[in-house]
Amino acid sequence: MVSSPVIPRRRHAKGGFVGGMMINYILRRILISIPLLIGISIVSFAIIQLPPGDFASSYQSYLMNQANLPAAEAQKAANEYRRAYGLDRPVYEQYFRWIKGIVTEGKFGYSFAYKQDVGELIAERLPRTLFLAASAHLISTLFGIVIGIYSATHKYSLGDNLATVFAFIGTAAPRFFLAIILVYFLVIRWKVPYVNRFTSPIYSFAPMSWDKFVDILRHTWPVIAIAGFGGIARNMRVMRGNLLDVLNAQYVTTARSKGLRETKVINKHAVPNALHPIIMYQGTVLPYMLQGELEAAIVLNMPSLAPMFYNSLVSQDIYVSGGFLLVYSVLLIAGNLIADIVLALVDPRIKLN
Amino acid sequence: MNREQSKTLEPIKIEVAELKAEEHESYFNLVWRRFRKSKIAIVGGLMVLTLIVLALFSDFFAPYDPVKLDMRNGYIPPHRVHFMDAEGKFYLRPFVYRWTQVLDANFFATWVEDTSARYPIRLFVQGWEYKVLGRFPSRLHLYGVEGDGQIYLLGTDKFGRDIFARCARAGRISLSMSLFGTFISVAVGSVLGVVSGYFGGQFDNLMQRFVEFMQSFPQLPLWMALAAVIPPTWDQMAVFIAMSAIFALLSWTLLTREVRGKVLALRETDFILAAREMGASDARIIFHHLYPNTLSHTIVVLTLTIPSIILAESFLSFLGIGIQEPLVSWGVMMREAQTIQTLGFNPWIVSPVFFIFLAVLGFNFLGDGLRDAADPYTIV
Repeated sequence: MVSSPVIPRRRHAKGGFVGGMMINYILRRILISIPLLIGISIVSFAIIQLPPGDFASSYQSYLMNQANLPAAEAQKAANEYRRAYGLDRPVYEQYFRWIKGIVTEGKFGYSFAYKQDVGELIAERLPRTLFLAASAHLISTLFGIVIGIYSATHKYSLGDNLATVFAFIGTAAPRFFLAIILVYFLVIRWKVPYVNRFTSPIYSFAPMSWDKFVDILRHTWPVIAIAGFGGIARNMRVMRGNLLDVLNAQYVTTARSKGLRETKVINKHAVPNALHPIIMYQGTVLPYMLQGELEAAIVLNMPSLAPMFYNSLVSQDIYVSGGFLLVYSVLLIAGNLIADIVLALVDPRIKLN
Repeated sequence: MNREQSKTLEPIKIEVAELKAEEHESYFNLVWRRFRKSKIAIVGGLMVLTLIVLALFSDFFAPYDPVKLDMRNGYIPPHRVHFMDAEGKFYLRPFVYRWTQVLDANFFATWVEDTSARYPIRLFVQGWEYKVLGRFPSRLHLYGVEGDGQIYLLGTDKFGRDIFARCARAGRISLSMSLFGTFISVAVGSVLGVVSGYFGGQFDNLMQRFVEFMQSFPQLPLWMALAAVIPPTWDQMAVFIAMSAIFALLSWTLLTREVRGKVLALRETDFILAAREMGASDARIIFHHLYPNTLSHTIVVLTLTIPSIILAESFLSFLGIGIQEPLVSWGVMMREAQTIQTLGFNPWIVSPVFFIFLAVLGFNFLGDGLRDAADPYTIV
């Protein structure tokens, strides 16, 4: 009998080595993303500077139409406004001031509409957006996998067909339309008070507690459901397809012929291997969830990043638009990084270079 | 005997000739053979075809002019089509009743069916004048009612315009914009992918970094930011082209990656080496040998990009950034639903969503079928 060649088990021989490689890899990825972010910040800033006019010109027309100021005086006030906030400087100078503020002081520029630093707005609203997107992500992964397993093991049954129809609706229905439908039912049919807020007024200033958490869920479920719906559909289809492929593999037949119980064959042998593509997929799912949150929260006017971003685009509140674009990009890059790390942890065949 | 032999010989010859002809079945024949076996792909294809025909000949299908204002007929609910009249009498030809405006108990003006006047629905009636494909004047319409009757199958909007007529017309913008945007992204994506994979080296490296850079942009927020930048003073054609370009801007990277991967594998195969040894130029190898082999990927990505653009376009138009009236797309038509009061009293104004739904589903089905059919040389 030919003895099998000795394969050096580089990666599992020493845990420390794998860990060191992992840290190396993470650091390298973070370093790569810095020039990426600089590029993104330049493009974001260029885009929000593109339209003619600025916030001062809408301030000027406000002064003329609402405060009945003569044109010359309104012009003067607008110019003073521009000077005070540096809007009269060349674009590249404004950009450098913006970046310098972010890097050195953590200030993201002044929001003309909200009269405070954009950094404060982000600090206030980013956790909410993350909460909504992460919850949507959680339910979409959980339900998607469970329904996918059911569909694959009950192929062409009534439940499987129902799940398929549901998945097609989930991927083809515009999310803003689902949000409209929910608003219609919440406001007109069920007459729910306080639709567009995170908590009931009594919990507004209360410290975090279980009751408050339940209350938050009661108010935010429409956004989470809408953002998660498409994700459930996608995960379900992926899981169903993978599991069907895996169930045809020879090692599954072997497991069955050994006399293992079917539940054990599926849960111990088939499902873990069918999960890989789902994990690989996570990098693209997070932006999908953020987009879902964006659409649903704008229509439902939930006070997260989304409606503020939309309003800032309409009113040319440039530092809000630019700062939020940057935040969305950072989330995207971070999401991809986390997905890659998780995949490397789960699947030792992945090489980290 | 001899004569009989020659008779029997001749058909055999023909059979051989036919067999040979069948051996050289073209790529598209093979794709079609596999494609038509998939029921769901055929259904998807029919859905897409229906929408395209509806959009192209929208004026023929519309009983009323989709842009003519008629303020007295604002917010009429969808007309119910009856076979049975109020007395329970059955008619073979379906009909609609007249709708009149009355004041309800709260003194709100509401539309109700008036069973005293009955208008049978007729096919191929003469109505308002339009031009088929913008060229041939015609008055023929698919359906309508005679006399002073009216038929609004999906109701009317705020300005009394027939929603069905507008949906058919809106398909022109929604479909052509997504097709145009996809076409740009496919043209850019596949050419860059082939070139990048074929030449490799520094150019490929640079290209891949650029693709990574483009993919780090958050798609929907960036689309929103770019669409919000378009000045409202631009003319319709410019807005249309700008919006298509914006959608193409972030969509081409996926295809570039896929095509590049395919070309990298193909580059080292014998038939490319043979072509190079025979002195074929780079351009010939790229466009004659490599590009056709990536076509299957391109077609699949194409059918999956279109629905994503349709969805994004409808959302942006719904928010009021990007496409504006008088250009009308399905998303623009749903703008009115933004006000919850309007939606509460007139829920039928969201009906354009069914056209969006049909289009996205149709292209998804088509894409699923094409994905299996596009590579007909594998055995399933």
